[in-house]
Amino acid sequence: MNFPHSELAAQWITLLAAGMLVIQMLMVVQGMLLTNIRLFALQSLMLAAIAAIIAFFHNAPHVYWVAGLTIVGKVFFLPWLLNRQVRRMQIHQEIEPLFNSTASMVLCGAFTLLGYIVARPFTSLERLGNNTLGIAITLLLTGFFLMFNRRKAITQVLALLTVENGVMLAAVALTTYGMPLVVELGIFFDVMVAVMVLGILVYRIRETFASMDVNKLSQLKG
Amino acid sequence: MDVFSPELFLKIAFCAYGAGIVGSLLSLRHERAANLVGFASASLAALSGIGSALFALISGSAREAVAFELWPSSIPYVSLTLKLDPLSAFFVLIVSLLALALSVYSFGYVRGFYGRKNVAVLGAFYNALLLATTLVFTAANAFFFLIAWEIMALTAYCLISFEHEKAETRKAGVLYFIMSHIGTGCLILGFLLLFQVSGDYSFEGFRALGEKLSPARRDAAFLLFLFGFGVKAGIVPLHIWLPEAHPVAPSNVSALLSGVLIKTGIYGLTRVLFDFMGTPPNWWGVTVLTVGTVSALLGVLYALMEHDLKRLLAYHSIENIGIILMGLGASLMFLHTNHPVLATLALIAGLYHTINHAVFKSLLFLGAGAVLHATGTRNMEEMGGLIKRMPATAFCFLIGAVSISALPPLNGFVSEWLTYQSLLQGFGTTGSLVRLMFPLSGAMLALTGALAAACFVKAFGITFLAQPRSEEAAHAHEASPTMLLGMGLLTAACVFLGLFPTLFLKLLDPVTQQLTGQQIGTQLSLANRLALGNTQALGGTVSTLGIALMAVCLLPVPLVLWLFFGRRAQVRIGPTWDCGLRGLTPQMEYTATGFSKPIRMIFKALFRPHREVQREYDYSPYFAKTLRFESHIEEAFVTRLYRPLNRTILRLSRRMRALQAGSIQAYLIYIFITLLLLLIFAL
Repeated sequence: MNFPHSELAAQWITLLAAGMLVIQMLMVVQGMLLTNIRLFALQSLMLAAIAAIIAFFHNAPHVYWVAGLTIVGKVFFLPWLLNRQVRRMQIHQEIEPLFNSTASMVLCGAFTLLGYIVARPFTSLERLGNNTLGIAITLLLTGFFLMFNRRKAITQVLALLTVENGVMLAAVALTTYGMPLVVELGIFFDVMVAVMVLGILVYRIRETFASMDVNKLSQLKG
Repeated sequence: MDVFSPELFLKIAFCAYGAGIVGSLLSLRHERAANLVGFASASLAALSGIGSALFALISGSAREAVAFELWPSSIPYVSLTLKLDPLSAFFVLIVSLLALALSVYSFGYVRGFYGRKNVAVLGAFYNALLLATTLVFTAANAFFFLIAWEIMALTAYCLISFEHEKAETRKAGVLYFIMSHIGTGCLILGFLLLFQVSGDYSFEGFRALGEKLSPARRDAAFLLFLFGFGVKAGIVPLHIWLPEAHPVAPSNVSALLSGVLIKTGIYGLTRVLFDFMGTPPNWWGVTVLTVGTVSALLGVLYALMEHDLKRLLAYHSIENIGIILMGLGASLMFLHTNHPVLATLALIAGLYHTINHAVFKSLLFLGAGAVLHATGTRNMEEMGGLIKRMPATAFCFLIGAVSISALPPLNGFVSEWLTYQSLLQGFGTTGSLVRLMFPLSGAMLALTGALAAACFVKAFGITFLAQPRSEEAAHAHEASPTMLLGMGLLTAACVFLGLFPTLFLKLLDPVTQQLTGQQIGTQLSLANRLALGNTQALGGTVSTLGIALMAVCLLPVPLVLWLFFGRRAQVRIGPTWDCGLRGLTPQMEYTATGFSKPIRMIFKALFRPHREVQREYDYSPYFAKTLRFESHIEEAFVTRLYRPLNRTILRLSRRMRALQAGSIQAYLIYIFITLLLLLIFAL
């Protein structure tokens, strides 16, 4: 940690992580699907930037791979895939969520608080700014919240992806060089496959029930 | 001579069982070939198993226990190691001995299935069951033991469900399946408890582990093992599957189930309690003794109420498991009070009864199988007079019945006598009130023995004596030669174990040496007599051989008396006295239900008999046109314990179903709330 620029790096990382949190909050209140996808792409770009900064300042070339994969996968490929899906289905707006936007904001504020409290004992372990782990846990919780707050399967896919972003952020926050590359690749492809399967499933749900509302799935129960 | 070793024989046995499975399946379409291949392999394997076990037991005290790996395994924690220590060898001897007799019997018995059922499948599963059981007895680590245990449970399920076209069979099979798996679940938990301390799955690592466990954990392990093995052994109140499952299987399999399979529970308990757990606390012994006493008494009482021959025998298995457990329980109590010699005596009683029960119960099931084969029914009320049509079967069945009723000089008497002796000696071993358990259970054992005798008077009398009650019984035929040979082998074993207990006790020496560190076989046997005097201040002596010889000597006495005094008496030959009625008909015979009525009335509180009589008449009730009589007893454990339990579980499950709303969001919320709670608890 004796790099001359490490202070600068920490500040950049804190800024970008805060940006990810802000975008997450925007996603929670945003109803338009296409905008949500764009927000997610932006958030992923920030994650990639954080990874790149770590790679640069801490001399860990393999983290560049993570950054590159994040850009290719989460900034371009998955948003493109979801975009196409949304356009094909002709559904652009989320119908009424479980909690309205005010209540959602309040709840997410509470989750942020919880995230920070939970992360507090570990702040000494963090080497990349003081807030990253707290933000990562908050992303996880709000991502989860997003998942059960919305009814459209597409939004749930998006929410899962933001949870994954949170996990990645936690990984780079807690350990200097991120997780071993193999583990990151594993998680990455896991999510990729999950999204594709869900994409196909969403299409099937739509064909069967003429809707994307996951509540209709309860009709399958015996 | 080193080429021949118990290990070699054991491997031959495994190979032969394997060949039996493969061979049967290869001849799937040729039932005669399947019969020959399947049961010939099993007989060969059984012979080899007997050789291996005897070899190990006779040379066992001198040599190290035989241990080897069946197959090198690459999976961590799983190693297929076997060990033939004296306890294993003793149980391998039981299973192999029975396998031999049963396989010989099966050649004839399964002919009854030709054209009706697939004999090859029966042969394959039969071999698989024997193989798995032998593996259970010899497995040297918990993992392998559980694998073999499960294979055994599943093949037994397949054999029980062999005649699956009958609804009764399917129901019994499912009940067995469920109970057996609840038991296995307990065993897995128990072994995991031990594993946590030993850090090793091998039985070697578990040895005398009890001292290292905390008391709470040790007691938890004891209860889990008692439950787990108790289900398999059929102790009350976990027995309900047994009288359903054993009768519906083909008779050769019933014999195997009652003879060997429930003994795996006894083996497991002996292994765990005596080998792993160290010196037991007092309440363990008291619990086992109580469970044994209750099982013995209730088993025989329910057996008395049965008129289905095979169900009756199945209930007797519960009774005998109870008697075995009385021996084991008493032994545990003696270990607690530090009386190793008495503990050994009680253990010997339990183990001796284990092999005795295996032999005579299989013999009785084979006899019942022959009767079933000949008459096509298991209902005793439709039998009768079979002694004239199947004399050899009747003789074998009678020997079995005398043995199980613990009448001297046959084998049941020997082991029950030993059990009595150890219980009677127990009163002086401790000053606490617990000592009252000994005379109490001794008295209960006496009652059990008497009731068992009554039950077999009924079973033998109704089945074989008097006139046939049905057309089928009237045209019954003697069993085929191989069936008779199979029964003959077991009959001989009954007589041998009864008349020469002293020879057999020597085989038990290495077993008791392993478990309690004592060898009293030689002290117990005194010139063909069982003598307690050498081991204890008090004690009795009995010689079954002497009793038998005396009986043989007394046999000519009536002849002599007749020669001296009877010659002058006039001999008349006439019809049986019929009270002046014109001819006796089967309808006038004593029925099984009628015979057991007094006992039903005495134990009314337990049985809660229900009786319904409907008669139709024209002008006077004394001249009934038709009469319908219905009588049944309440199966208290099913109606009082299992049905309420079932209902509660179902009610709870229905409530739990509300959780399963079928909505993804609901499921997500569950996960989220759990996550939140965990985070908050972690703070």
